[in-house]
Amino acid sequence: MINILIIEDDVNIAKMIKATLSIVNYNGHCCYDGKSGAAEAIKGTYDLILLDIMLPEMNGFQVMEIIKNCGTPVIFLTAMQDVADKVKGLRLGAEDYIVKPFEALELLARIDVVLRRSNKTQNIITYGSLSVDISSHIITDNGVPVQLTPKEFDVIVYFLQHQDIAVSRERLLSNIWGYEFEGESRTVDIHVQQVRRKLGLKDRLITIPKLGYRLESQDK
Amino acid sequence: MKLWQKIFLSSLCLIIVAINIISIVLLNNTHKLIIEREQSHAISEYEYFAASFSNNAIYERMRSEKIILSTDDIKKIGTELVNGRLKNQPAAIYDSKRQLLCSSNPPEFFQTNDVIRFVSGISINSDSYSTKVFNFSNVRYMVVCSAITVEEQTFFILTASDVSEIYTLRDKQTNFVRQVGLISAAIISLILLITVIILLRPLSRLNTYTKAIADGNYKIRIRKRGSREFRELADNMNIMADSIQINAARLEKIAEDRQVFIANLAHEMKTPLTSILGFADLMQIKKNVSDKERSEYAGIIVEETKRLRSLSGKLMELIALGGTETEKAPVSLPAMIKETEASLTPILTKNSVTLSCSCEDITISADEELFKSLLYNIIENAVKASAIGQQIELRAGMSDGNVVIAVTDHGIGMTEEDAKKVFEPFYMVDKSRSRKAGGAGLGLALCVKIAELHHAVLTLKSKLGEGTTVYIIISGEECL
Repeated sequence: MINILIIEDDVNIAKMIKATLSIVNYNGHCCYDGKSGAAEAIKGTYDLILLDIMLPEMNGFQVMEIIKNCGTPVIFLTAMQDVADKVKGLRLGAEDYIVKPFEALELLARIDVVLRRSNKTQNIITYGSLSVDISSHIITDNGVPVQLTPKEFDVIVYFLQHQDIAVSRERLLSNIWGYEFEGESRTVDIHVQQVRRKLGLKDRLITIPKLGYRLESQDK
Repeated sequence: MKLWQKIFLSSLCLIIVAINIISIVLLNNTHKLIIEREQSHAISEYEYFAASFSNNAIYERMRSEKIILSTDDIKKIGTELVNGRLKNQPAAIYDSKRQLLCSSNPPEFFQTNDVIRFVSGISINSDSYSTKVFNFSNVRYMVVCSAITVEEQTFFILTASDVSEIYTLRDKQTNFVRQVGLISAAIISLILLITVIILLRPLSRLNTYTKAIADGNYKIRIRKRGSREFRELADNMNIMADSIQINAARLEKIAEDRQVFIANLAHEMKTPLTSILGFADLMQIKKNVSDKERSEYAGIIVEETKRLRSLSGKLMELIALGGTETEKAPVSLPAMIKETEASLTPILTKNSVTLSCSCEDITISADEELFKSLLYNIIENAVKASAIGQQIELRAGMSDGNVVIAVTDHGIGMTEEDAKKVFEPFYMVDKSRSRKAGGAGLGLALCVKIAELHHAVLTLKSKLGEGTTVYIIISGEECL
């Protein structure tokens, strides 16, 4: 279970982040000011800290100064689009920053990247008869290896990490292909079809009209 | 060319020219005096010689008992006389046809063209003396010449005296003066150079300071030194630097305020947007959203949207206020307060707060709608700060020639630190509390703007836990 500390003064945003985290089964804990946030972070029981900059009592940068020696990765949440602020945050040792407002999946994607970097994510995901080893890029179905192209592999991993979430084509494009492929949603469709066919996920990886795709979790 | 070079060179030239002119004039004057003295001396010499010549002729005639002396006799007398002359005082006698009769050494001198022409220029009848200086083989002779009648014959007698010494003296003096002039010019130029540089040094200092100020160092001030003009200039430049500093600080403050305003605005806009986008997104991408979750998420979206609406409304008001001219008309203060009270009734009853008003009968010049909105905002803030059952007092009256409206509540109050910042846009003493009440943090900023338009000042007195009093002080000039 991944534990994430949310230090955010706006109650609704904190609640929203917590709800977003819960859909990928991350455990969120909220603190509403800098002081209590720093005190909580120092305990070192968290895998990641989401830190707002404009906080009462103590701002995000000050909190960062206190907690940077704990070794817990930090992602800044900021309403500013000021480059200087971002640079300051990153220089203080933050792993990343997210500019408000953000989409739920963007937040999850950033969290994922940071967690993977600090080896906090599972390397092997099992889904029914499928077993996916992310680090060695091997996927087996009942122990039999399945041949997937690298992009197809990325697609199935993304869906496995975001089960039960409706993922838009744009989101897939930007996460797997990068932003330069923007607009080429046909590519996504072809890859999803290949994945479905090769892994026999026809009923599981379903199309949601006008939105994209969703991988149903196996327990339902 | 630099100023110090110009001043130095022009002064130096003037001084050298002046010294030269003065010394030349002095030297010439002295020389002229000496020449004049020498002239009179030469003339008396001439008279003596002429008299001797005439006397000798008479004496010779008497001695030889001739009736008339022959030209040869006279020539002999003349030759004797001229030969008796000193070496440096040669003399010569010409006959009436201006032919040389006899002369002392050097005879060539008396036959030079210049001398002959000079002698030719003297009329027979003239009884005055002509003098002139001739240069002959590096010797200057002062020559006196005149016609004289001896033994009924006309002769031209010419006596000369060597005056080379005078000219040598003059040349020597000229040389001396030139040397002294050169040395003194060198000394003067040195002194002048030092003086000019010292005098103009404050200028380069001023220059350095000006550059520093131009480079943005507005704090720097010039020390007053040097002559009065420089001190005055330094004074004026300091005054200029003062006003530059004040203006720069003012502009910086404005820019900073704007920066803070925009940062706050971005924060205030993005916070609700983040919740709205986040929850809407959640509802869209999540497979199973329970009814409880849905109503919670939707509720938050509605709440945050309202916050945005309130923010944009207040923002528009603020922007509109900045651009519009107020339409002021005489309005009765008690009537305005009464109307505001009426429009506040729903809020007052909702929060169970009472409002007691006491107002003197004053008429002020104001934009009625704006002024009511000012009163409304301030009383609304008081209501927000008050607990259930508390009373808010509004008192309006004249004080020190100004109209003072005081709104007092007995609510939560605030710390001194908060009281200082409370008029800043987006400042909220208790963020979560004011957000729940739908505040955007712009109410008091709006009030300040409205007050400014009415030449009024807003001040505030508050104590944590005891309540707050807001004063609207309207200048007496607005009072009718």
